[in-house]
Amino acid sequence: MDETVAEYIRRTVLKIPRDEIKTMLQKWGFLSEAQLQTINFHQIKENISQEVVQLCEENSADIKQAAVLDIIYNHIYPNKRVWSVYQMNKTGEETEFFDLTDFKKKFKRRLRSALKNVTINFREYDDNAIWIRIAWGTPYTKPNQYKTSYVVYHSQTPYVFISASVLKSNMPLLCQALLVASNYCDIREMELRSHSLNSLKDIVFKRYSQNFQTYYPRPLQERNVAPESADIRIIQENKNEKERIQRLNREVFGDGPQPKLEFAQYKLETMFKSDPKMDVLDKREPFRCLVKFSSPHLLESLKSLAPAGMADAPLSPLLTCIPQKARNYFKIREKKGLFPGSFVSP
Amino acid sequence: MEPGQGELSPAFPLAGECQEKVEEGKAYSPDGVFAYLEMLEARAHKAAVKQEETEQQEEKLARLKARVEELRLQRDELRAKVDLQQKRQLGKEGGVSNPAQPSARAVLEWKIKSIKAMLEVFYLTGISGKLTKRGVCFCISTAYEGTYLDSYHLDLLTKPEVQIYRHSVPIFIPLQQIAKKYLQTDIRRFLSVLSDHLNAYAGRRYQADQLQEHFSDQIEGTLQRNSLCNLLVFNYKVPSKSKTFPFNVRLLYGDLCCSLPTEVVISCTPNAPASLAETAAAHSDLFRRVALHKVFRSFSSAVGNVDGAP
Repeated sequence: MDETVAEYIRRTVLKIPRDEIKTMLQKWGFLSEAQLQTINFHQIKENISQEVVQLCEENSADIKQAAVLDIIYNHIYPNKRVWSVYQMNKTGEETEFFDLTDFKKKFKRRLRSALKNVTINFREYDDNAIWIRIAWGTPYTKPNQYKTSYVVYHSQTPYVFISASVLKSNMPLLCQALLVASNYCDIREMELRSHSLNSLKDIVFKRYSQNFQTYYPRPLQERNVAPESADIRIIQENKNEKERIQRLNREVFGDGPQPKLEFAQYKLETMFKSDPKMDVLDKREPFRCLVKFSSPHLLESLKSLAPAGMADAPLSPLLTCIPQKARNYFKIREKKGLFPGSFVSP
Repeated sequence: MEPGQGELSPAFPLAGECQEKVEEGKAYSPDGVFAYLEMLEARAHKAAVKQEETEQQEEKLARLKARVEELRLQRDELRAKVDLQQKRQLGKEGGVSNPAQPSARAVLEWKIKSIKAMLEVFYLTGISGKLTKRGVCFCISTAYEGTYLDSYHLDLLTKPEVQIYRHSVPIFIPLQQIAKKYLQTDIRRFLSVLSDHLNAYAGRRYQADQLQEHFSDQIEGTLQRNSLCNLLVFNYKVPSKSKTFPFNVRLLYGDLCCSLPTEVVISCTPNAPASLAETAAAHSDLFRRVALHKVFRSFSSAVGNVDGAP
């Protein structure tokens, strides 16, 4: 077995939390159950990884199999990477018959025709997600297994989720291969980025909870009714206001959990509006400014702003339109025309 | 000012007894102020305890009053029931009876029942709508052969022109295409076509899921499928002890509004006996006519027959 492969497997195993190593190796399926039984999973990870490498040596693992272990790891821990969303367009209107074998063949052929030194691995999952792992090399060097790009594609959808590696120069190649394989015409990067792959999927596939008004008899959900204080002498003075805020919040954000985003960025290119006498700027030019909201869970925190009394309800549409517009990077320019104000660029 | 000299003018009227104590305190000068303060503290404590007691009494009284009201209400209800019973008896005995005025409660119950029935009808027809502030919100429910599946929503704006504001339709359903064709001109047709697409998709997915759930032992590995479930490729066998999967089938669902395949290609794997070619042809016809999971169910029930012929 190649030295590099051994080292790669060792490093991949070291990344896995100790309690998960056994299950992940089982999912990998490269080592037999009998072999797995011989490993002591209670020792320190260094030793576990050494034992795993030895067993892989016995089975003569090659880079392809090592890559599968890497895909499994990234599928279970996708939030360690930053994912961007790309949108594809097509002109034709024929029915899609997405054939998986066809897709894989076309993708590999297109990519390899441009760059021979790549390692390409595919893995399909139950929810129709196709994971593609690409390790990039150059025309003169072998693929670097530590510089990988991941692509997640759901068949017959126009969205691709890409976690690029450091080498951004390979993106055009990757995009080309995707277009050819999936039968689309062009591809562009959306202004939507996050660590949480599933939340990105929720946003573009519209799987997040939107409050639709229907007559369908849903069982009345137990709203969080705070127990009336036992002491009747305590009265909620702002009861109406609180209820109004709750109602508006539910209309905007829905009832369910929000998709998980870490930040929203607004690039302002608007004019600084000041008292003309103050004359802050000599010339009338746009005041360039960047506003960035960061949070472990941005949309949940926005949802709790009004009930916590930190902001007025309804919140600014610039904040609440994030899931619907499927973007968290905005450019705000001056609105040209009769009405001064600002509008969000497409 | 030395303690004991000068007058301690009381801040509030003291009871007679306390006045004495104050006077006494003046005689025993070092303890005067402290004793006075102690006395004030004790008084305040007593007053607080008394206030609490009166409050508790009041609360108890209020509770008992509420209970009395409750019991009175119950009594009235029971009286009404008894009257109704008596009236019914009279009616049964052939007396001229005025139909008892339906009580407000009965009317309400009837209203609720009829509304629930109406909603049930909407749900059963699969398309229901509700007017919103700016337009209409439609709910399309899907079902396949008696099993209810997912519901999808469409929020439409009606001004300035009909447009889709937001929706929960899966991204791989060609919603934009259908909208471009029919949304502006014929909303009914739009909804009907969309409902057909969604129901057919739900049906295809249901069949594939059923197959994987109940007949996984007859399939090699997992099905190759896609988001729309309009292309399924897999190797299968008829129920038998053999461990090989001699048939390879490719089901193509050309019509997105249909839950049966338009094209079926069955081939035998290279190392399969030639006799199976006939069976393959028979299966091909079966897949075209019958739902996927039902085909496999028929295999299981035909196990007793020779060659598993349908």
